Amino acid sequence: MNPTKTDDSKMKLTEIDRILATEEPLIPTSGFLASVMESVREEAAAPQPIPFPWTRFIPGILVATGVLGWGAFKMIRQGLPEIRLVSLAPPHLPAAAIQPVEQAGWVALALGVSLLSWLLSRRLAGRSGLL
Amino acid sequence: MIASLQNASSSTPALSGANASRADADLADIARVLAGDVEAFEGIVRRWQGPLVNMAWRYCRDRGRAEEMAQEALIRAWRGLGSWRRESSFSTWLFALAANVFRSELKRFPTVNVPLQNAPEPAAPATQHRELAAQSNADSVRRAVLALPPRYREPVVLFYFHEMDIAAAARTMHIPEGTLKARLSRARALLRSRFPQLETAHNEMELANLNTGKEA
Repeated sequence: MNPTKTDDSKMKLTEIDRILATEEPLIPTSGFLASVMESVREEAAAPQPIPFPWTRFIPGILVATGVLGWGAFKMIRQGLPEIRLVSLAPPHLPAAAIQPVEQAGWVALALGVSLLSWLLSRRLAGRSGLL
Repeated sequence: MIASLQNASSSTPALSGANASRADADLADIARVLAGDVEAFEGIVRRWQGPLVNMAWRYCRDRGRAEEMAQEALIRAWRGLGSWRRESSFSTWLFALAANVFRSELKRFPTVNVPLQNAPEPAAPATQHRELAAQSNADSVRRAVLALPPRYREPVVLFYFHEMDIAAAARTMHIPEGTLKARLSRARALLRSRFPQLETAHNEMELANLNTGKEA
């Protein structure tokens, strides 16, 4: 017990201090060292975790966000007048019947995006080619 | 006590030549570990297992759990060796890391403590053998530390673990020395109010020792 270490010369040492400062040391059990080293060796032998492929993920997510954003923008642009028509005008023929070519384009785009995402997922999984 | 503890490799480190050689050995082992030699970590475990188990013991007073927590701290140290920036000594870094581990472990699974006011009364020396009574007193006080509110408990644990070195305890907790002193002062006041008779006992003992010395 070294009261000078406290930097507090006024500190009055009590029986409580003596009890808390003089405690019998605990000796670790004989298997402790081996147990720690076993855990460390296991960790060292374990394969390194695969890092997340940010370099591939970020361009992919940017493209996907762009496509979705563009799609949403187009939908809103086309949808707003129709909503106004629906709310203000009497019922009329659905848009698909009026603009079949444009709808076919959307379907083709959706199929294209699906194909691209499938190819991208195969590439990320480490395989290439269509099959 | 300090010397015996160091010989047993089970206590807090004191500032000494032995510690300088220990620090050198640590640096050498760390360099080898970082170079890929897993077995070099054994030297670090061998040197620090005692202090860490004892530190954990003071946090929970459960031997099995103390070893589990110390093992977790050593494994975290193994994982984080590369992040030690050498701005502070290895022991300071290791104790701070261990304190974090122990704190989180005890948050996840707290120890079962009685409130401070319900901590058992120290046994009366007249009713038991003097040594047994002293042992009982010591156990009561040590268990009462765990019943302190958390903000006061850790400063007490680390202050006495670091052999009453305020600077070392503050470094381990990453708090200013003034804050540690304030918390420690409050904690000691709480303990003194819980065990007023021990303060008297100590004063009487000091007086008795003084008288014995004079007579001799």
